[in-house]
Amino acid sequence: MTNSPHALPAPLLAAESLSVSYGRTQVVTDVSFALAEGSSLALIGESGSGKSTIARSVLRLLPRDLGRASGSVRLSGREILDLPERRFRPLRGRELGFIPQDPTSSLNQVRTVGSQALEATRLLDGERGRAERREIVLDTLARVGLDDPRRVFDSYPHQLSGGMLQRVLIGLTIIPEPRLIIADEPTSALDVTIQKRILDLLSGLREERGIGLLLITHDLAIAADRTEEIVVLKDGTVQEAGPTRQVFAAPASDYARKLHGDVPALNPDRYATLRDREIPAPASPKIEFRDVGKTFSVEGQELRAVADASFTVAPGTTHALVGESGSGKTTAVRLLLGLEQPTTGEVLVDGETISHRTHADLRDVRRHLQLVYQNPFTSLDATWRIRHIVREPLDRYRISSRRERDERVREALTAVGLDEGLLDRRPTNLSGGQRQRVAIARSLVLRPDVIVLDEPTSALDVSVQADILDVLLGLQAELGLTYVFVSHDLAIVRQIAHTVTVMNRGRIVEQGPVGRVLSRPFTDYTRELVAAVPGQELAGHADRVAERTA
Amino acid sequence: MRSSYPGFVLRRLGQAVVVVLLAYIATFVVISVLPGDPVSGILNNPENGFSPEQVDQIVSYYKLDQPVPVQLWESLSRFLTGDLGVSLRTNLPVAPMIGQVAASTFSLAGAALVIALVLAFAVGYGAHALPRWAGRDLLRAFPSLFLSVPNYVVGLLVLIFFSFQLHLFSVIDSETPVGTFFAALTLAIPVSAQLAEVIIANLDHESTQEYATVARSRGLTQAGLFVRHLLKPASLPVVTVIALIVGELLGGAVLTEQIFGRNGLGSLVQQSVTTQDTPVLQAVVSLSAVVFVVVNLVADLVYPLLDPRVRLTETRARATVPAPGRVPGPFAPSGLSTPKAG
Repeated sequence: MTNSPHALPAPLLAAESLSVSYGRTQVVTDVSFALAEGSSLALIGESGSGKSTIARSVLRLLPRDLGRASGSVRLSGREILDLPERRFRPLRGRELGFIPQDPTSSLNQVRTVGSQALEATRLLDGERGRAERREIVLDTLARVGLDDPRRVFDSYPHQLSGGMLQRVLIGLTIIPEPRLIIADEPTSALDVTIQKRILDLLSGLREERGIGLLLITHDLAIAADRTEEIVVLKDGTVQEAGPTRQVFAAPASDYARKLHGDVPALNPDRYATLRDREIPAPASPKIEFRDVGKTFSVEGQELRAVADASFTVAPGTTHALVGESGSGKTTAVRLLLGLEQPTTGEVLVDGETISHRTHADLRDVRRHLQLVYQNPFTSLDATWRIRHIVREPLDRYRISSRRERDERVREALTAVGLDEGLLDRRPTNLSGGQRQRVAIARSLVLRPDVIVLDEPTSALDVSVQADILDVLLGLQAELGLTYVFVSHDLAIVRQIAHTVTVMNRGRIVEQGPVGRVLSRPFTDYTRELVAAVPGQELAGHADRVAERTA
Repeated sequence: MRSSYPGFVLRRLGQAVVVVLLAYIATFVVISVLPGDPVSGILNNPENGFSPEQVDQIVSYYKLDQPVPVQLWESLSRFLTGDLGVSLRTNLPVAPMIGQVAASTFSLAGAALVIALVLAFAVGYGAHALPRWAGRDLLRAFPSLFLSVPNYVVGLLVLIFFSFQLHLFSVIDSETPVGTFFAALTLAIPVSAQLAEVIIANLDHESTQEYATVARSRGLTQAGLFVRHLLKPASLPVVTVIALIVGELLGGAVLTEQIFGRNGLGSLVQQSVTTQDTPVLQAVVSLSAVVFVVVNLVADLVYPLLDPRVRLTETRARATVPAPGRVPGPFAPSGLSTPKAG
């Protein structure tokens, strides 16, 4: 950038002193940024930072009657914030494309993909017949990497996977050839490997067509990989802005430094002291899967969810079960908790089989086997108070007196770092991170030996994820807990787990100590999973910078 | 997905037949346990002027000298062959008697359904799309207002205004097209309120869905969004509601016919109740049951064809109404719908 703005064409998108309020609550304050033609910029921050609100202000898609934006947003020098709806509408789709966060809810469920795609072709200039428009759609669907465009065209959204739907949405966005794409967390609802493919696709299309990209994300690593400039937001204000490499290598603000420290891929040894503490050599494994197989019968067809799975977990360690959706990791967890019975083989806890036990027997086993569920927004009963939620397992097992139960509830809350003042609140008044701490506290009150963590952070922001991992590792070191950690994110696995089992389509493809599996994977599948972790390239770059300066 | 559809249709048809039979039996039992005996009350009443031969003939025809189960069996087997019996009042076959008046009632109820749908969608669209200054919030109060005014009050107002003041139709001969329209309008207003509530609730829900935002980001106008995207998903539950309100339409038609002095099932029911003409009563109630069952059957069969998400399974054949809107209860065979006062 030079100092003579008059010599340069106006930037593609420029926001100046943008403020947005919902009713009386101001959510974005005085935010400015600029994005040059064909370049890319990331708005980064956690939930509530105002990043999605900014995106929607630019697209003028704030909730009607509620959201109010002030300041200035210019598209190629033209003010769009106070443009009448009638004059702004032609810009939608043609100039400004939008890729939403959750592909499964972003298409009309009762119309075919094709009929919705044809809608996008109407935005193209010039008269075109239906057949011609259909050809354009099919070409585009093929261009975004969908193997069978004709089938996709005739499908309803619920018949396609999340990754396929996101490709469809990207296709719909690029059909009218916009100059700027605003992508609001385009991959946060997808598996890591799918995330990489979708982001690769977006990067490829950008280079090919010179489209500008405004990327909204909570993941600094994704921003680092995919954008040239970065704006760090917190509570609706800009904390730091600048070229991505610079913000990344030498964050100037405290908040950017914290975000940097929270990205698992950039800090593989964040928990090294806790993780690598001395664990007494075990006499026998805490958990053992012996040739476990599980077959479901769906509409007369045999479906093999897990086949010949064998692994052991030593007491006091963390074992990671890694795989994408449909890999069988969830079935493995259900087998471990006794929620399903294996078709073949057996599952042992403390050397005793828990397979094919009676219900009453399982009840005793489950007392020592607790589960922390994936999504804290749905796993807590919104009508119950926190005190009640955390105490419920004690009530169910009729443990000690009422007063002692309340004491144990308080202990559990303190252990997960929550204030006692929250006892009489309800989950709806809590943040996602607080809710997940409550869920962990609930699993702790029975003083179990084993806790199964089913993607405990995948519904949370990166910064909140780091807080939860802090809590979990602290508890493990203190109480000697054994964790089974289910995840599709190898960066977290590298941070916290001791051993790992990689699953694909119901089969174990690789297992062993985390260090070996992740640094020298034996199989292509594991290599692909490792490569999908965002932020690695810049992490390497940052390391080299650090080495040079040292 | 559709592979199980024929099986689903057969299953539903079987259920429908069973429901009609049960309704017939229930009606028969209720009528026969009611106080009043047709032999002493009507046949032997000298005012009706039956000769002893005629009385014997009718008694043996209906097996009135036999126990109730035998009478039921006799009546049911005739019903299954399409024979609705003979009126005790006029001594004429029941089927043509009903045929003469049913057309009038069904055209009234049908017209009312169409008007109710048009009204409901108009209110729904307005309450969803109009700017606030144009009365969007005011429009939202309409369903509650329509529901809380009883049918006969609306009917009298329509009569006073359109017939007595504007002379658009005559009360003496109200079965002209214009007369039918206003009678149907009277019947349609409370029914449209129920539909409108469901439509508004569903439009509100659908318009906050992410896909609606994404569709707007592709440059759709408000009206385009409504027609192309919101209308279909918001209308799907309406199919279910229509099936439920058909009973209300029939019951309301009886009342509306009385107000407008129209000939129809209403006056027939009234006459047969006052004269204890049990065969006619039995036939009218059974006919209502058949209509109600058929309409619900059609709704059930059509729904999976309209909504691609509905997978047919043993347990869930029709999607439930997702809207919090008011869903009326099943049609009461006694016919007269309860006015929703207050």
